Amino acid sequence: MNKLLLIVSCAAVTMLPRIIPFFASSALSRLPKFLRKCMILLPVAALGALIFPLALTDFGPMWYAGLVGVITAFITSLLKGPMILAIIIALVSTTGMLVAFPL
Amino acid sequence: MHINGKEIREGLHDGSPIFLGYFTTALAFGLLTRTSGFTFVEGVLTSMITFAGSGQFLMMNLYNAGSLLLSIIVSVFFINSRYIFMASSLSQRLADPSSIPGRLMCGFGTVDEVFTVASFKGRKLSYSYMAGLIFISYIGWVSGTAIGYLGGTFLPDVVQKAAVITVYAMFASLLGGEARRKLKAILVASLSALLNSLLILVAGLSTGLSFLISMISATIFGALIYTDKEVGIE
Repeated sequence: MNKLLLIVSCAAVTMLPRIIPFFASSALSRLPKFLRKCMILLPVAALGALIFPLALTDFGPMWYAGLVGVITAFITSLLKGPMILAIIIALVSTTGMLVAFPL
Repeated sequence: MHINGKEIREGLHDGSPIFLGYFTTALAFGLLTRTSGFTFVEGVLTSMITFAGSGQFLMMNLYNAGSLLLSIIVSVFFINSRYIFMASSLSQRLADPSSIPGRLMCGFGTVDEVFTVASFKGRKLSYSYMAGLIFISYIGWVSGTAIGYLGGTFLPDVVQKAAVITVYAMFASLLGGEARRKLKAILVASLSALLNSLLILVAGLSTGLSFLISMISATIFGALIYTDKEVGIE
């Protein structure tokens, strides 16, 4: 297989879906109200599926290490902690779980 | 396109967690390209012109499995189809939607993490802000690939493993902040999380298709339970 062709075509099918909507933005802003509402709520809906189940399955049999990281980061932000603190706490607790309960 | 140093710095600042998460993930990707028989230039080029985590890993896995070129391209397109919706959503938050280079840059940089961080900024987005956010993420991804190719994942095993949590912690933190403002956010995100988990783990769907179904279903659910006023539509 021609690797350069592989690389360039995969880049193309990645870039097209990302770039084209930005050039349709004025048409998108004239969509019916319900669909515009959907576009505003899309990020919230994406977050759930971006986290689960991959945050668990990425750790394989030690899925609980991922779960603890996600929960500690979430709670930190609920308590108004800044994002960087949430990430540090998650890193520490996930590392702690990996060290304390290895498989 | 007006350049504003303060906005660029704010973008760089907001993107620093993405840098950390991307750099460590890209180390693994760089190593994977080397063990798959790619040259250094081919490996780094992949990250430079594609700039997509899951899509690139999928490409390498299918390449190593000996799949046909066309089937790899179709699969990569499907896992990337979510970007159509993310880019559409993000395009509505730009402060100045007219600039062509600005839109090209935002399109190029619409990865999951940039999309979520920018979306929860809570105000209209300037191109300077987006440039800072995309630049630091991109540098993390490309430099991680290069270093991973040359040096492998030199981090201690437990650190490399734990670093995977960075990006998820960022998502969880964005969700926590949103939930504090509006408790309904938890309902919407829980629905997409539950659907995505069931579709992948129980129904055995591919992650690309499953993500799309879960995200769209939860979005529609959200649009039904939020009032127009709550999302700022007149």
